[in-house]
Amino acid sequence: MASQMPPPPPPQWVRDLTSPPPSKAKSGAFPDPPGYTSSNPQQVARSKSSKNAVSQPREPPSTYEMDTLKLKKAWELALAPAKQLPMNAIGMYMTGNSLQIFSIMMVFMLFKGPIQAVLNIQGTFARLETEGNKQNMLMVKAAFVGCNCLALALGIWKVNGMGLLPTTRSDWLAWETAREPLERAYFVPS
Amino acid sequence: MRFPLFAAVCILLRTTVAVFADEAWNVDYHYALLGEPQEETTFFHQPNPTSKASLIYTLSKRGVVGAVNPRDGSVVWRQLLSPNLTSSTDRGFLRAGEGQDTIVSGYGSQVAAWSAADGRLAWTVDTHGPLKDVEILELSDGKIESGAKDVVALSGGGSPAVQRLDGASGAVKWQHKFQEGDEVYQLSASTTEVFAILLHKTVLGYIKIRVVSLDPVNGRKTDEYTLSSEKELASAETIISVGANSASPIVAWTDAAHSVLKINIIGTKTVSSYNIEKQDGQPVEKIRIHAPYHANSLSHFLVNYQTATSHWADIYHIDHTRSITQLAYSLPNIAGQGSFSTSTSDANVYFTRITQDELITVSSASHGVLGRWTIDNLGLVSAPHEAIVPTHTVSELSVKGDSVSAIRTAVLLSTGDWVLLRDSKPVWARPEALADIRSATFATPSVLEDFQHKLDVETHRNFVGAYLHRVKRHLEELKHLPSYMSSMPQRFISGFLGTTDEGAMASDSFGFHKVIVCATGNGRLMALDAGSASRVLWSRRAVDLDSSESWQPGLSSRADVIVLERGSGKSRQTFNATNGDPLPGIPDTHDLQSGLGVQYTLRDGVLEATRTDKANAGSVWHFTPMADERILHLVPRPVNDPVASIGKVLGDRRVLYKYLDSNLALLATANDASTSAQFYVLDTITGSILHSSAHSGVDLQAPISSILSENWFAYSYTAEASDASTKGHHLVVGEMFESLVPNDRGGLNAATNFSTVQSGTDPFTLVQTYQIPEAISKMAVTQTRQGITSRQLLAVLADVEAIVGIPYNALDPRRPVNRAPTKDEQMEGLVQYEPVIEFDPKWFLNHQREVLGIENVMTNPALIESTSIVFAYGLDIFGTRLSPSFSFDILGKDFNKFQMLATVAALAVATFVVAPLVMRKQVNTRWQFT
Repeated sequence: MASQMPPPPPPQWVRDLTSPPPSKAKSGAFPDPPGYTSSNPQQVARSKSSKNAVSQPREPPSTYEMDTLKLKKAWELALAPAKQLPMNAIGMYMTGNSLQIFSIMMVFMLFKGPIQAVLNIQGTFARLETEGNKQNMLMVKAAFVGCNCLALALGIWKVNGMGLLPTTRSDWLAWETAREPLERAYFVPS
Repeated sequence: MRFPLFAAVCILLRTTVAVFADEAWNVDYHYALLGEPQEETTFFHQPNPTSKASLIYTLSKRGVVGAVNPRDGSVVWRQLLSPNLTSSTDRGFLRAGEGQDTIVSGYGSQVAAWSAADGRLAWTVDTHGPLKDVEILELSDGKIESGAKDVVALSGGGSPAVQRLDGASGAVKWQHKFQEGDEVYQLSASTTEVFAILLHKTVLGYIKIRVVSLDPVNGRKTDEYTLSSEKELASAETIISVGANSASPIVAWTDAAHSVLKINIIGTKTVSSYNIEKQDGQPVEKIRIHAPYHANSLSHFLVNYQTATSHWADIYHIDHTRSITQLAYSLPNIAGQGSFSTSTSDANVYFTRITQDELITVSSASHGVLGRWTIDNLGLVSAPHEAIVPTHTVSELSVKGDSVSAIRTAVLLSTGDWVLLRDSKPVWARPEALADIRSATFATPSVLEDFQHKLDVETHRNFVGAYLHRVKRHLEELKHLPSYMSSMPQRFISGFLGTTDEGAMASDSFGFHKVIVCATGNGRLMALDAGSASRVLWSRRAVDLDSSESWQPGLSSRADVIVLERGSGKSRQTFNATNGDPLPGIPDTHDLQSGLGVQYTLRDGVLEATRTDKANAGSVWHFTPMADERILHLVPRPVNDPVASIGKVLGDRRVLYKYLDSNLALLATANDASTSAQFYVLDTITGSILHSSAHSGVDLQAPISSILSENWFAYSYTAEASDASTKGHHLVVGEMFESLVPNDRGGLNAATNFSTVQSGTDPFTLVQTYQIPEAISKMAVTQTRQGITSRQLLAVLADVEAIVGIPYNALDPRRPVNRAPTKDEQMEGLVQYEPVIEFDPKWFLNHQREVLGIENVMTNPALIESTSIVFAYGLDIFGTRLSPSFSFDILGKDFNKFQMLATVAALAVATFVVAPLVMRKQVNTRWQFT
């Protein structure tokens, strides 16, 4: 029963000690001074929330509910690239078809994003995948791949617009050779 | 508000597009030449009576009258007398009256007076017959006071006549016509009389000298007599001299064997005869008489005898009272060739003798030497052990007391260089032999050739082999490291300051320093450096030519070997291009590929082609122009004409395929009866006509020029005025395609080789005509190493003495007519067709210089793709480097190395200074609370 008892509220100095003023450091590249232990605000917040949770206990969701929730979340994730498409398309349209460093960089990002996303697909959905929703997850993944393919297609459309796709005769002109004449004629000045 | 801004932008744009001023006089070079001066028409003369300094005036073998500043050898002015340089056999006459500010030239049938100071034309008169002589009347009767002295001109031809022309206006004062039959020979004027020398042909074929004396006031004949006896003169060539304009002019002649010298003082009938004794047992080959040219100088003259190995001279005085000549003294025999010149100072006459190593001045009165100088080094480029012989000289001297205080001698040497000696030191030299280049070729210096060969080896090996070869080459190059290191500071400084002097041939990695080998009219080979102007690399005698003999050499080069073909005899010699050494062995002329080879030549107005292989030799085809037509010229496609892209990429990225055939030739014919010109594009294997066009109402006197390169041709002509159009110069450009449908390769489709004998396909030709402001006398096209760079059509404008480089874009026959270009056409760079092409001032390669008498323009690729080397010759020499697509593969002079290095240095310093600051700030943010 003693464990059920809420502990007495800690004194003010303990609270001050455990929650120092938030540090302003933005870069973590430097070692902290000796004896300094880091504590970031999230931890503090979590500890607070846990406190609240403890203070207001809630019924944990069932496994089915969890699966449904996770599936919903997964769908959201899967369709996120498609939602970005119109914005990307407008961006691409605005940059024009000229070969400039900005448009080239944007096109590069446009290709890099979907390809990276597809490669990391397992990692992306690992947290949301459970034994129960495995079947549905396949659909979700397919949708994710499809959406990324759409983004890729947008990139290809853009590249084509910029004239970078070797689709015309002139792109292969360098590999065409002139016909060799079988005879040669020479002019001899008299 | 907006307009000034726009104007400012426009001005800025202009300056960025134009040629950089430092490039304009740096990459190009120009020799303003006159041609080899002639002995009789070269003299020192004061441009006006008040000036003390005199100029050297000459009428050269090339028909150019000019004045040269004796101080630095620069041309003060020059005038081209005959527009057609090659056909001039005329010697011409150039006279200057004492104390006159005009000089008078006679050339062809034109007598012209030029302002001596600036070369402006005072007057010109046509004498309606080939000029035989022009003299200036130095009358002593006092009637003609100051002002211009009159000119007497003797013209031959159908109606031989003597005319007296007013010195100020050129108006004819009187004219005396001779009966036909006698050949008029020369003119001589004393202070009181005008003598015309006529040659009377006797029945036996000998010549008698007939003298007709005329009254200078009214031109009436006062006397006539015959001098030489029967059988004395076989030809006019043995008449040595007809002394002109001296106080007592003489006529001298000899016999064919040069054994007797006969002298007559014109106006008297006595003939003095002198035996010419042989010295050293050698026959006398040449006799020259040098007499002063002033009416009031002493009447002394010098007779110069030359044998093959030595020369000497006798000096004669004329005794006026007895009207006889007397031998005064002799100048000793000196081995080798020499030359004499006459100078006057007041009434005194001085003779200057120049030999290969000495300059001696004597007075005409006595044999005492007034001045003697030793000539050490003329500072000329010539072959080792070659004797440089003075051909003729003119000199100007000043005498103080009994010695010559200063002497200036302009001497033409056997090398074709015109050198001015002050005392005995050369002050300047003008390579006048280059004014008569018969043939020229580009060659690669040996060093560069080796390098190029090594690079070629690397491209043709497999990857590993090429890599090993390169490593080996670099190890070998380490040998040069010490010398490279020692030259490093100098290179660095010069590169840093941008004052690089373009280096020597060895360190030329861009291929600008090509050797241009020229065969000149005097039988020499001269080599110029295409990269650094005004440098004759080597010069050597290739053949021995007489003064009257001419040759038609053909030069070609194979890498660093020069092949000289001499005339039609086709005797071949080979030379090293770098130093001019003759090489043993003769390379084969044609490296023909296997298969059918065809040779075609233009002979007797017919173009004829024969097979080259011995097995079935014989005529393949011949092209005979139609009746009344004559062939003007033939332009084959250059043998070395690389094309990078076999098609033209359109704006929508489709391809229009070029009709590329290395066996094309453009033939121009003219019809004098109907004044029309025809142009044919021929396939030289089968002789078939691929394209032809005819133009009527063509001015056939105006130049017609044409060019063929890649898949396009261009020609220009001058159209006469007609009902439809006014007189004007036209430039026609045609471009040939395999098909006019994009992405279509025509009838042969994807075949990798073709034979026009078996399957001939005709090209589709687009033609466009432009009106141009000037007639083009010669065309050439820029050549680059791989043909990636766009082309420029180089056109010689003879009338404005300029060479323009017209970008091919401006001539493209695909320019849309009567409509604005579509978006795709704009992307291709096509602009709307306009019938008139104005020559942009930026196109003028010569900038503000006048390039006179250009006959040919040659181009050659440099080692870097962007650049083409241009060399133009004729009378002047002009050379430059062109980058038609701008210098995309080399840093220009405008690139600021200093700025770049300073920027890098500043960034480095900034990094080192700022890094600790940033570090401290970042640590502080950790430690400091706000």
